[in-house]
Amino acid sequence: MLTCKEMSELGSDIIDRHLGLRTRMAVFMHLRMCWRCRRYIKQLRLTSQVLQQLPLDWEPVDTAAILDKVRKHAE
Amino acid sequence: MVKRLQQGDAAACEAVIRAHHRFLVAMATPLVGQGLADDVAQETWLKAFAAIKGFEGRSRLRTWLARIALNEAHALLRQYKREVSLEGWGVDSGSPIASSFSDKGTWSHPPAQWHHDSPEALLTEAELHECIRKHLHRLPGDQRSVVLMRELGGLEFAEIARATGLSEGNVRVLLHRGRQRMHAMLNHFEEVGTC
Ligand SMILES: [Zn+2]
Repeated sequence: MLTCKEMSELGSDIIDRHLGLRTRMAVFMHLRMCWRCRRYIKQLRLTSQVLQQLPLDWEPVDTAAILDKVRKHAE
Repeated sequence: MVKRLQQGDAAACEAVIRAHHRFLVAMATPLVGQGLADDVAQETWLKAFAAIKGFEGRSRLRTWLARIALNEAHALLRQYKREVSLEGWGVDSGSPIASSFSDKGTWSHPPAQWHHDSPEALLTEAELHECIRKHLHRLPGDQRSVVLMRELGGLEFAEIARATGLSEGNVRVLLHRGRQRMHAMLNHFEEVGTC
């Protein structure tokens, strides 16, 4: 039997589907009876998705200067 | 968007730089140091705009840019005869939520119920963006790098391992720790309503 703590350690391998068959079965059994771990794994997946979709344009960038060098380089 | 880039549309070029430049600098910084990270990003744009016609859209544009940036970073290090020096990288800092469990390994402080149940819903909270960025900065350098390369950059585990000189298993552990910390931050935000 996996403990909840062990489940939390397996969290990324669970959401990245990086588990062997035996562990996958044990995880499946644990998730069926434990709402706390269900919640944690679901939220960890959500965290990963938020990071994947995070816009990164908060600080101003001198795009003109960058494009200038690109153009000079292309000439 | 890619089509407009390939046609050399100036507005599209600016938009794409604005969307990804900060990411490229942040990703390159731990590999080459702050001073050279801007050079890596600039070189990446030179290469990217020269090669954009060959971009087939098999990966996200940002992943394609990240690959170019990794090549440029390593080329620059070779040129300066330096190596990626990531001292102290890859040591597992242990579970950041160890205190959430009883001695028997069951939850003593389970995660809270969240108000938002999709990434889109979470990202509508303007205050949260700021909070995520702050906490990304607070991650240990190795975890931040792996989170940037994998989650924001979409690079494969093998590519990240090659770029950092860490094993793939090590990269997975660092990613997990980074995600756990970012989860704890989101959980706090959902529970308390502030960063
Ligand atoms: Zn459990």
